[in-house]
Amino acid sequence: MNDQTRPLSRREFIRLAIGLGVGLAAAEWIWQSFRAIDDPVGQAHAANINGPYWAMVIDLEKCIGCYRCVYACQAVNDTQDDHRWNILIEDNTTFKKPVFITRPCMHCENAPCVDVCPVHATYHRPDGLVEMDYDRCIGCRYCMVACPYGVRVFNWEERTDENPQVPTWGTPEIERRPRGVVEKCTFCAHRLDAAAERGLRPGYDPAATPACCNICPTEARVFGDLRDPDSPASRALQGRQSVVLRAEIGTNPRVFYLLPV
Amino acid sequence: MLRFVRSNLFYLWTALLVIAIGVGLVAAFLIFTRGLGVTGLNDSVPWGLWITLDLSCIALAAGAFSLSAITYLLGRDNYRPLARVAVFVGLLGYSGALMALLLDIGRPDRFWHGWVYWNTHSMLWEVTMCITLYFSVLLLEVFPMVADLPFLARFRWLNNLAHRIHRFAPILAVLGLGLSLLHQSSLGATYGVVIGRAALWRSTMPLLFIVSAVAAGMSFTVHITMLVQWLGRRTLVPSRVLFEVGQIAGAILLIYLYMRFWDTTAGNYGYVPGRTEATNVLMTGQFAVSFWGWEMLLGGLIAAVLMIRARSRQSYVSLVVGSGLVYAGIVVNRWHTTLLAFTQPLATNPPVTSPLVGSYSPAWTEWATAFGIIALLALLFSLGMRYLPAFRGVALSTSPEPVASSASSGTGE
Repeated sequence: MNDQTRPLSRREFIRLAIGLGVGLAAAEWIWQSFRAIDDPVGQAHAANINGPYWAMVIDLEKCIGCYRCVYACQAVNDTQDDHRWNILIEDNTTFKKPVFITRPCMHCENAPCVDVCPVHATYHRPDGLVEMDYDRCIGCRYCMVACPYGVRVFNWEERTDENPQVPTWGTPEIERRPRGVVEKCTFCAHRLDAAAERGLRPGYDPAATPACCNICPTEARVFGDLRDPDSPASRALQGRQSVVLRAEIGTNPRVFYLLPV
Repeated sequence: MLRFVRSNLFYLWTALLVIAIGVGLVAAFLIFTRGLGVTGLNDSVPWGLWITLDLSCIALAAGAFSLSAITYLLGRDNYRPLARVAVFVGLLGYSGALMALLLDIGRPDRFWHGWVYWNTHSMLWEVTMCITLYFSVLLLEVFPMVADLPFLARFRWLNNLAHRIHRFAPILAVLGLGLSLLHQSSLGATYGVVIGRAALWRSTMPLLFIVSAVAAGMSFTVHITMLVQWLGRRTLVPSRVLFEVGQIAGAILLIYLYMRFWDTTAGNYGYVPGRTEATNVLMTGQFAVSFWGWEMLLGGLIAAVLMIRARSRQSYVSLVVGSGLVYAGIVVNRWHTTLLAFTQPLATNPPVTSPLVGSYSPAWTEWATAFGIIALLALLFSLGMRYLPAFRGVALSTSPEPVASSASSGTGE
């Protein structure tokens, strides 16, 4: 046997294995320290302790099922008929009378979609909202499998359609998403961000409030900061029984439903 | 006519595969240019046939790590020829999985994001990293076999490199074992961590996945080795080894069935919202025939009995049929697991019937690309078995019983 074909001796094997292990650990450490520099996501909750707690409150007693919030969302966020961000479900069995349940994204505190995304394309903003980075999403759709509420939709094709709700219910305020990425309700984050620059107050000023809440004719759907006791959302919650969807799985949604009285 | 077919079997087989690959390429072109709208997938069933293909390819490739571990770590040198087939099958299996993944993601141009933007919480991130690393391990393991080709003999440096790599076979086996244990299980965990879908949300998923993958991978290796030996009229692996591995795989399958029994029984005790409905779909509903027929009987108990009894009876028929049934059953299991996830209505508290429960049947584009990928793998496998010196084996002479020491040719022992 020459040197090249001789099997490894035990000593060589152990030496190599240790070397490999140390090398891998070092590489991991260097990589992690690079990553720590630009990882705003990890600090999201810490940064928000004194910030606003955005929430949406939907009153099942007041909702008349008129579809206006569905259409306004579709117009403002420019979504397709079959891939709406905000949908309406008629429930005839749970309560004595039929109710209409409209369902945006829950913006969960413990969001399963954020945990499972392999590339951090969906993430918690510093204010706690769950948003999408359309430039990073690879379209694996694991978040759609993981979302407990089925709020996520995929761009199956390049969009060329005309939006049937424009201009009746509003005009698009954000760009159409490219083919091959996942999208979902943003709580109209573009309005919240613009509001912050112009000194408007989300929940109070319509220009700073999600389109679905502005258009609601019965004020069944309101938005605001739960840390501000005077915000429309806080006031709607007062004295009423509220539930969140699928509380048993611990996602901590930011959308509260007021039970019919 | 029959004689023509028989004497040109390899070329006819190749032609058939090339046609399938061609159709697959047309479908793939459609998918890459028009997007995933041309598939049968939709918002309520976002994963389907391709994911099943991924999971199956990777499960059937599990023979590579398990047999390498037996050979190089437990020092069973007589398993080496079988481990070599398994490693070759493994490389092809992982290539197939990577191809299916590339089709499946909506932005194939961003395939590299998984390596650059890490979310270490994601099971899919873990799977991505492990599969890529393990794919490299398999490449290193297969490289010496390819470098052994006679027409590459003129490149001395190539052969030197190959022999150097081959010396590290035990280390590659350790790496392969570690990476495979990680990602075969985390593929199960990919489903197991989905808290929003009760049919998936169970901590047994990773264990069920890896145990079934080892059974399926070993069986597939045995099955395909026997086919090659039969069609090529030669001996690659001592039959004693085939029977032994068959018996091990059969025993592992029984362990899997036992685990599955308790997982199903304890996991569905009383009423578990979502999971109980999914179990009903599986056991008495839409999937009942394929579940009881394939997963439990043919691919379960019957296959295990055939595999275990084949050795004492020296029955080649039991072994080849049994091993085929094992991996068929596991493939059916992956299909069921994927589709059961999407039976649950999602907006359920207060409980309502949401319009989200969709139906799914794969479009022709999905079938064509899936069969195209399988055909490509089959073609590469056939070419490898025909031309790689590592798989030359020993031609069958008059005696039907192969000689035990036959398959020692090949990579630099």
